[in-house]
Amino acid sequence: MIKKKKRYGMVIDLRRCVGCLSCQTTCKVQNNVAYDDFRARVNIMEQGVFPDAKRYFLPTLCNHCENPPCVEVCPTEASYKREDGLVLVLEDRCIGCAACVEACPYDARYIDPNVGSAEKCTFCVERLDNGLEPACVHNCMGRARIFGDLNDPNSEVSQLLNNTPTEVLKPDMGTHPNVYYIMGNFNGLPVKEEIR
Amino acid sequence: MNISILFQPMNPTPWKIFIPFYFYFTGLSAGSFILSSLSTVFGIKKFKPLAYPSAVAALVLLILAPIMLILDLGHPLRFLNVLNPFYFNSTSPISYGSWLLTFYPIATLIYIWIMVKPEGAPGREKNLKIMGAITVPLAIAVHAYTGFVFGVVKAKAIWHTALMPGYFLTSAILSGVGLLAIIYLILSAVKNKRPDADLLKSMNNMMIGIILLDMFWVISMWLTMLMGTEAARLAVHMELRDPFYMFVEIGAGMILPLLILVQPRLSSKPGWIATSSALVLIGVFVMRYTVVFSGIKAASLGTLVFQ
Repeated sequence: MIKKKKRYGMVIDLRRCVGCLSCQTTCKVQNNVAYDDFRARVNIMEQGVFPDAKRYFLPTLCNHCENPPCVEVCPTEASYKREDGLVLVLEDRCIGCAACVEACPYDARYIDPNVGSAEKCTFCVERLDNGLEPACVHNCMGRARIFGDLNDPNSEVSQLLNNTPTEVLKPDMGTHPNVYYIMGNFNGLPVKEEIR
Repeated sequence: MNISILFQPMNPTPWKIFIPFYFYFTGLSAGSFILSSLSTVFGIKKFKPLAYPSAVAALVLLILAPIMLILDLGHPLRFLNVLNPFYFNSTSPISYGSWLLTFYPIATLIYIWIMVKPEGAPGREKNLKIMGAITVPLAIAVHAYTGFVFGVVKAKAIWHTALMPGYFLTSAILSGVGLLAIIYLILSAVKNKRPDADLLKSMNNMMIGIILLDMFWVISMWLTMLMGTEAARLAVHMELRDPFYMFVEIGAGMILPLLILVQPRLSSKPGWIATSSALVLIGVFVMRYTVVFSGIKAASLGTLVFQ
């Protein structure tokens, strides 16, 4: 019997996210992320005026896409997609041209000014390879982040995907992200965006 | 309503001023070389005075250009990794461009080496024509690939258009003509020779024609973006409200030189030709600048995010 490849992915349940920013902070600490940059972070939007004000939270990170535009444009193949789905960077080969930084529609990458190479969320690969879950998943106090093997039908992520409607970020980009979102209570959001 | 409405990019861009300069210099180089080839490859005799100066300009610019690029890298000393054949990425425009940036200057050097042989040397004309014919596609490719560096990036609405490589190429030729017009006028003044009026007229007409073509690309982009995706619409509205873009790139860089060059009373005078050329040179640089930085800025529009 052929063992199916792993396909690591994440489901973020926006009904549970309270905007504590634990994931954002934990990631910074765990991965020594440079000062101006973020790997995992939370987008916050505030709407309305007291007493009808409301805040919406959208945690984002690298989507480890099935069709990653960052891997496509790398001139040295330093950016690559691993067999188990992780999109990683060979730090020693990367020349820091930042083509991948510009190609990513999700603002997932940056050039670390202290290192010079492109950096991004790795799903905490060093933790994964030791049987642990990514740090942001571990520290999410709302248990809003569920991580696992999307190719394993018995994993929690697979079962969530099968039973709950989910969305991905910017589906029109054709990147096929592996981070899925369960919608929260966003009834107050207007349909038409403002021009910033 | 997709949750992307809440998404706001935050990471700063690592690209600096070196990037627009790189695109500008490769464009100037390609444009200059094409001008040189007009007499040596395409046999248009009146461009002969330009053959040598434009070839030298092409070479000098092609030495400056990669320096700009290397200065922008996070690991400048690793730049040779892009020339490692085992690392070649067939979907990366920069992978192809790195090889082009190696072969094109070598070809230009050989071309100049043939050109500096005395006029009567055996086979000089023929070899020059052959070498020129080999180098012209390299010159075009060296600049067209930069258009693809932008064109393939779907994350940036301003970049993601099929018109980008063509627009880059035509504006590169325009900048080359502008540069060589100024160089030719200076050389003529220095040598105390009268510049050839017929040649100047041809260069003027080239600038007029390419400016009109560039305006066609620009208007095409505006129209298709105004009726395009949400990201495209937000981007084009931003550009149209950007005074630097409208007044410097379009106004001073395209419309003003056009208005000068179409008037025979003005366009016959070296002073006015030099002015139009300078405006064109500035305009094309600003185009490279706004493509890079407005392209990046526009990608953060269209969300409602507070943080």
